[in-house]
Amino acid sequence: MITSSRDRERKERQDKRFINKETQTSAKYLRRIEELSGAPSGMRPFLDTLRRIYVEMKGIDIPQTEKTIGTYCVMVPQELIYAAGAVPVKLCSGNYTAFFIGDDIAPRDACPLVKAVAGFKHTGLMPVYEKCSMMIVPVTCDCKKKIAGMLGNYCDVMTMHIPTTKGDDDIDEYVSQLYDFCARLEHATGNKITYDSLAEAFHKTGRAQYELSEFIRLKKQMPYLIRGTHAMTIMNAAAYMPAEVWADALRSVNMSLSIRAMKGEKITNKKLPRILLTGSPIVYPNVKIPLLIEEMGGIVAGDETCMGERGMWDPPVITDNSFDGMIRALANRSIRPCPCPTFADNTQRIYRLKQLIKENQIQGVIYHVLRGCLVYDFEYKRIEDELGKLDVPVIRLESDYNEEDVEQLRIRIEAFIELIKLRQPPEKRSEDSREL
Amino acid sequence: MRSRKRIIRTAVICIVFFALSYFALYLPFYKFPPESYGTSLKKIFSVEYIKTLIPLFIITGVSVIGIALVIFIRNKLLNKNGRDISRYSSRGKGKAPRQKPAVFMIVRWVIMVLFSFMMIWGGLLFGLRSTNISLPIFSCPANNVQMTETSCYFLSHPKDLFTELPIKNIIIFFVSTLLFIILLGRVMCGFLCPMGLVQDIMDKIRKKTKTKGITPNEKMYAAFKPIKWFMILLFFGIGFIGGNFCNFCPAITVSPILAGIGVSLYVSGFLMILILIGSFFKRRLFCNICPLGYLVGLFHKISPFRIKKDCTACTECGACYEACPMGIKTIYTEREKADVTEANCIMCGECIKCCPEDNALSLTCAGKKLYTASRKNVMSGYASKKNEVEI
Ligand code: SF4
Ligand code: SF4
Ligand code: SF4
Ligand code: SF4
Repeated sequence: MITSSRDRERKERQDKRFINKETQTSAKYLRRIEELSGAPSGMRPFLDTLRRIYVEMKGIDIPQTEKTIGTYCVMVPQELIYAAGAVPVKLCSGNYTAFFIGDDIAPRDACPLVKAVAGFKHTGLMPVYEKCSMMIVPVTCDCKKKIAGMLGNYCDVMTMHIPTTKGDDDIDEYVSQLYDFCARLEHATGNKITYDSLAEAFHKTGRAQYELSEFIRLKKQMPYLIRGTHAMTIMNAAAYMPAEVWADALRSVNMSLSIRAMKGEKITNKKLPRILLTGSPIVYPNVKIPLLIEEMGGIVAGDETCMGERGMWDPPVITDNSFDGMIRALANRSIRPCPCPTFADNTQRIYRLKQLIKENQIQGVIYHVLRGCLVYDFEYKRIEDELGKLDVPVIRLESDYNEEDVEQLRIRIEAFIELIKLRQPPEKRSEDSREL
Repeated sequence: MRSRKRIIRTAVICIVFFALSYFALYLPFYKFPPESYGTSLKKIFSVEYIKTLIPLFIITGVSVIGIALVIFIRNKLLNKNGRDISRYSSRGKGKAPRQKPAVFMIVRWVIMVLFSFMMIWGGLLFGLRSTNISLPIFSCPANNVQMTETSCYFLSHPKDLFTELPIKNIIIFFVSTLLFIILLGRVMCGFLCPMGLVQDIMDKIRKKTKTKGITPNEKMYAAFKPIKWFMILLFFGIGFIGGNFCNFCPAITVSPILAGIGVSLYVSGFLMILILIGSFFKRRLFCNICPLGYLVGLFHKISPFRIKKDCTACTECGACYEACPMGIKTIYTEREKADVTEANCIMCGECIKCCPEDNALSLTCAGKKLYTASRKNVMSGYASKKNEVEI
């Protein structure tokens, strides 16, 4: 009896420490994002959402009666979750505090993202995680597979098999998984997925995608319109906002950006080196790399990461308006355009990178690898070679979920930015210095 | 093992097709008395016309029953797996997001309908005739009042070509056929052919009723291929061994009968039912095995109509492949070449309509862009008016 109460006390102390540390780090990164110059007006809702989830530690902002379904990765079609009357939330985590707890649970070489997820679920303190009626884990790598099993001890989990190729049969197979997914969702939420509710869901997410394509169009049209860190914040917040709310908020950002573009305003008049960030997922609050890039005088002009454009850019194209056709459109959208390294042949990622480099006038690529993230690390070599042919400098930055490597990252990023500045054509530099 | 099964299946289909076409004369679908072969403007405005249409009513009726049966059996089969999937096939009143109709598509439908109409009735109603010019499409010239000749008859009856026609007409036949093949190519399939129209209408009906179709699959298209080759063999060769392709050809059920000509149907009628049912579930099923289309497609390299791809804009989303009624996969997988025109492409523009990347695909004629993919079009179903953020 005494021991158990002592245990409880200890657990409470631990929990308090966890909450303190978690909120502190999250708040710190939020402050750093806010302190960056050039945020467009209309950013508030996104920052508030991140604050709500990580600093105030509340669940997502929806009525109590609505259920949330946790998802990982970009392959889980959000449309189906909306169709079942629930709200999807992306649970991939970038949290340092949770990572420390997960470090003891997961093996040393597991990736930090998975450790952080394990940590959160282990403490049982994060409302976004605790309120989920079900979690969907696409098996994109070994760590995801094992974490699915681990999460299964705490809540209802469904794994999804991700094919390694993108042939027609693989899509068929994914379609049949989506049907299973429908059944599980109906079971978890108690609502039926019907033709009408699915069509309605398509409209919801479609609007968000429409706004996103406007956002990206604006960004592409004019360089230096918005800082990449802000763009990434917006994309990160999408994980914790219902699609309609996010779409509305993004709409007002788009408005302010288009006004900016009309007036010809930029975040800076200097020619900041334009950097493309790619590689392992960058999830708030682990935004140290984009923050460092922009604090060191670069600009993240494009990102090719899971939490960024990748997951939402491609719309599901309905070629057959039956229920099955819609499901197929979802399966097709989830698998085919996805340049995730989980696919055996991922040449399309190189094309995608080249495309982003061209569209956003990228001058250098930072390849982010989370320690232990093998699939991304595997692809580095090939991408370095390919981009070398284009004469675009690339560096590989390995990082972990802690702040110990910040200094080292800072030095490398600084050197990389200097390198790009040196490569800039001289006349542009002289123009810069005149302005200075 | 699998491939052997496939070979056997294909062989069986081919043999059945061969037997059906060879002995077609013994398998009448609907016989008219010989004197009803003929038409006039008066006939199509009289009650007698309805009588001529009877075989068409039978074909439509049986096809509808067939389609209903297929859906019924399919639902039964789906449920048998223990997973209650057929429940999802309920229709609902809601509308799946649909993009605004593209000008190109409207033009295509208008041309298709108008041309077929003119082809069938134009001669009767407006006296438009230019009989010697031959178009290589399946608009049956058994309708001898058609606006213009089509090449299929003489292509499938090469013997008659040289015995029945005066030399001048033979030359016109070859020159016009070749000219159309080179100038228009398979644009004729996408825009002019009445058989194509009939199949597209079946597909439209399926979409209106929100019925599940057959999804594209490489294996299915691979299975079509040998059947197509066999059809070509039948088309060009059956005349030499004493058969008559016309007794087998499904196209004969469309144009002549609609024009009020009582032409007796043999296997054609049965085949047409199959094609109607098939093209309800699989868009342009017959075009995938059409011998005439294949012949036209052979010349695709010199046709001025091209499907162009900007590979740097493509994200390999596969939407174009999903949409393509002819199962052309290179259009989605190609990452180097700018020209993705294939022999099978009927220039229907579906791929362009569904492509969400600006400029990734376009249909060009002699270098001029006629229809270009744009994200705005694809997303137009989602944006309400107030959403438009313009610069
Ligand atoms: S039956 Fe067929 S092949 Fe014969 S003339 Fe008519 S359309 Fe041509
Ligand atoms: S392929 Fe289709 S559209 Fe073309 S000629 Fe044949 S039936 Fe007509
Ligand atoms: S490639 Fe495009 S235009 Fe050609 S048949 Fe397929 S969908 Fe139609
Ligand atoms: S639809 Fe467009 S973007 Fe998608 S694969 Fe085809 S060409 Fe590429």
